Amino acid sequence: MADKINLFVNGVEVEVESGKNLIDAIGAVGIEIPHLCYHPALGADGNCRMCLVGIEDGRPPLVPACKTPAQAGMKVLLDAAHIKKIQHDVLEFELINHPTDCPVCDQAGECKLQDYYMSYDQVESRMTVPQVTKGKKMDFGAGVVHDQERCVVCGRCVRFCREITKTGELGIINRTDDTRVNIFPGRPLSNRYALNVVDLCPVGAMTSKDFRFKQRVWFMKKAPGVCHGCSKGCNITIDHNREKYKDDVIYRFRPLLNEQVNGYFMCDEGRLSYKAENDGRLSEARLSKQIRSIDDVLAACTKEIERAEKIAIVLSPNCSLEQLVTVKALAEKLGASLSGYSDGYFKKGDGDDYLIQDDKSANRAGLTLLGIDCSKDGFEKAVQEASLIINFNNDLTLSYQESELKKLCKETKIIAISSHDNLCTGMADMAIPVASYSEYAGSIINCDNILQRFVKAITKNDNLADICEIAVRLGSPLQSDEERFSELKQFISALGEFQPDKIPAAGLNLNDSEAANVTA
Amino acid sequence: MEVKILSAKFDIKDAHKIKVAKEHGAYSTLDKVFAMKPEDVIELVKNSGLRGRGGAGFPAGVKWGFLPKGTGKPVYLAVNSDESEPATFKDRYILVKDPHSMIEGIIICSYAIGSHDTYIYIRGEYTTQVKALQAAIDEAYKEGYLGDKVAGHDFKLNVTVHRGAGAYVCGEETALLESVEGRKGQPRSKPPFPAVAGLYGCPTIINNVQTIASLPFIIANGADAYKAYGTEKSPGTHLFGISGHVEKPGMYELPLGLPLLEVIDKVAGGVWKGRKLKGIIPGGSSTPVLLPEEAKTVTLDYESMAEHKTMFGSGGIVVLDETVDMVHLVKNLIDFYHHESCGQCTPCREGLGWMLKIIKKILSGDGTMVDVDLLRELCDNIEMKTVCVLSAACTMPVRSYLDKFRHEFVAYVTKNDSSAAEAK
Repeated sequence: MADKINLFVNGVEVEVESGKNLIDAIGAVGIEIPHLCYHPALGADGNCRMCLVGIEDGRPPLVPACKTPAQAGMKVLLDAAHIKKIQHDVLEFELINHPTDCPVCDQAGECKLQDYYMSYDQVESRMTVPQVTKGKKMDFGAGVVHDQERCVVCGRCVRFCREITKTGELGIINRTDDTRVNIFPGRPLSNRYALNVVDLCPVGAMTSKDFRFKQRVWFMKKAPGVCHGCSKGCNITIDHNREKYKDDVIYRFRPLLNEQVNGYFMCDEGRLSYKAENDGRLSEARLSKQIRSIDDVLAACTKEIERAEKIAIVLSPNCSLEQLVTVKALAEKLGASLSGYSDGYFKKGDGDDYLIQDDKSANRAGLTLLGIDCSKDGFEKAVQEASLIINFNNDLTLSYQESELKKLCKETKIIAISSHDNLCTGMADMAIPVASYSEYAGSIINCDNILQRFVKAITKNDNLADICEIAVRLGSPLQSDEERFSELKQFISALGEFQPDKIPAAGLNLNDSEAANVTA
Repeated sequence: MEVKILSAKFDIKDAHKIKVAKEHGAYSTLDKVFAMKPEDVIELVKNSGLRGRGGAGFPAGVKWGFLPKGTGKPVYLAVNSDESEPATFKDRYILVKDPHSMIEGIIICSYAIGSHDTYIYIRGEYTTQVKALQAAIDEAYKEGYLGDKVAGHDFKLNVTVHRGAGAYVCGEETALLESVEGRKGQPRSKPPFPAVAGLYGCPTIINNVQTIASLPFIIANGADAYKAYGTEKSPGTHLFGISGHVEKPGMYELPLGLPLLEVIDKVAGGVWKGRKLKGIIPGGSSTPVLLPEEAKTVTLDYESMAEHKTMFGSGGIVVLDETVDMVHLVKNLIDFYHHESCGQCTPCREGLGWMLKIIKKILSGDGTMVDVDLLRELCDNIEMKTVCVLSAACTMPVRSYLDKFRHEFVAYVTKNDSSAAEAK
């Protein structure tokens, strides 16, 4: 816990964290200082001049709050007429050359200029001379489209590429009101985090080619989630919407602040992985490639299980901890072998030293923690001995060529319990659709041994069962969430302290001592 | 009225060559300096009352005293030769006619502040000057006045000339440092001030050419000899560039404190062609204009200028005769400062462009009283809200023209605006 200090805002004493600048310190207690260029991940630049405040201690009449550290006893002046006038005046300068194209701007609804106009301005334009014209819909590469006229030249995008990705593709060129953000000729954005500039942009200057013109942001529901694109488990906001007569569809993932995991950012691949939640899904149950009801297929599965001499159960490294223990209990009850073999989920050398990991699965640490065998030998031996394979959403096509897989499973019946339609479901004798990670709640452990819980974000029209539910229908004894959680506690002692819904939102760092994780 | 302190060698043929310069006393103060303690040199300069000649007039010795002690970091000296304020043409004379006085000053200052690296930032357009300066520096290296052992003393000093690329804003000290470091020349937000974290994050002193070139005289003759010139608070001499509508425009070295109108009449020959005086820009284009009535009581020193709500600035005096159209002048002024705005911070970037369009509208005859009042209001809205004072360099003079010559602006908009006719 950071030290607390007391200072005065508009004469009222408030307690804030020390060591922060005024925007963050005062912002944390709910008092807004308007700003465009400052971003906590990128530091203070001081160019927008929206955050000018008065400090009553004899220093220069105005200081940028972003560059002023909070100090005990400081008297910050925010609501004085002359400060309010500055906020209004600076905003007017930001707006005079800004196109009034909010009706067709993707940022509308989450735009700082719009918000500040409503809070600090609300007067008619006094601009009676022609506006400055600049470049429109410029393709900056990496799926980023730039509008120089909307840009307020806060430089967040430029600083992101210099300081975070250290690739430096963006720069500010020219002077005066001709100043603009641009790429170097023929050298577009080419880093794997480029789309973060779209989130960083306080206005609609940076837009995502993928999201442009798809949805008005105020129609979308927002739900927190954890990206399953790799073992980092970046926290995300899932923006989704159920349009009239249509299904609940995800339109974008955006990074959600978690200092312990991903900070403010996420990679582009993870960001665009929302598409796999919408598309390519297994939507109906199949028995011998014929569409049947889930109950019919489950009944057939039960018969197969009873008939089978030896069963091999295989699990996905993306399964939640709850799913893993439920299926593990099923395997123990059926005397089945259990494997989490999933070498195909590794993309060796793909990771970097920032967020992207080689391992493209979300919960391999969970598999390991529960002592589930992940070896290739173990898996192949089990498959060869078995007369029935029950595959819980493990995309084996990542680990095997089609011919290899067919050869391996030639003699064996396959039950595929899958969120997506793929070769495995195509080969299966019985296929049962299940929810994908945006459609159920659960916990996963990331590559840094941080346990994170996520909630159910999406409810499809045709609500699919979670793997836990299917495992129970097939005979798993862990029938309730409480039972699963108490089973998990056997493996993860740190969970002993918590109720399932009381796990810290920022995640539980299993590397730390348990005491450190007890929230006050 | 003229004196010869800084300009002592200006009339000597080939004084830019080290041999001639030495014959006339160049580098003669070094033995004396190196015999002193650095802090005594600072004290001497403090006592002389020498003020920064870049425009702000901050006492040089006091500035040097701001350097933090014992940081373990190198200390840099940056000499500001960007001289880009319109109507200013003083440093260029030193650079071409007497560069060795400046180099001698650099050695004195470097010894006082404990710096071993000097960067001279010279404006890109100064091609003749940069050649002369570099030739002088090369000579000084050859003669042992720069390099590992300055004048045989155990003191190392390297001097690097850095040419600007033509940006006015690079005369602002932190933009200058950014430019030397190889980045886009735009001012840094302060604090930290350069004395604490300047060039490459190290303590840095930035002084104007004329300030540095004033040092040898002070060392040679002492603080009192320097204070014998000028006024109590503005001691010494200054190179004034007098231009505009006078009979004898030119660069004149004068002690501070002389009456402005007397200087214009006696030194510069008075307003040309027998015309009437309309206004005086006292210290470069960024200083508020003075009306003839106001000018009567103005003397050429920092205090008198401040009392008359203008600034001493760079000593670039522009005399305006009765034929000058102040609306055109203001358009010219805004055009320049808008063009030179670095574009970093919002009020200056957007505001000066807006002001330029408004003044153009007024000039074209399409303006109304609303535009005149808006122009005046924008001066207030922009000024002092910005990272540096470039915007103030525009808004301060523009406000002065709008206030002192309002009727001329009103005249331009009268035909469109009946309310303006009444205002007139």
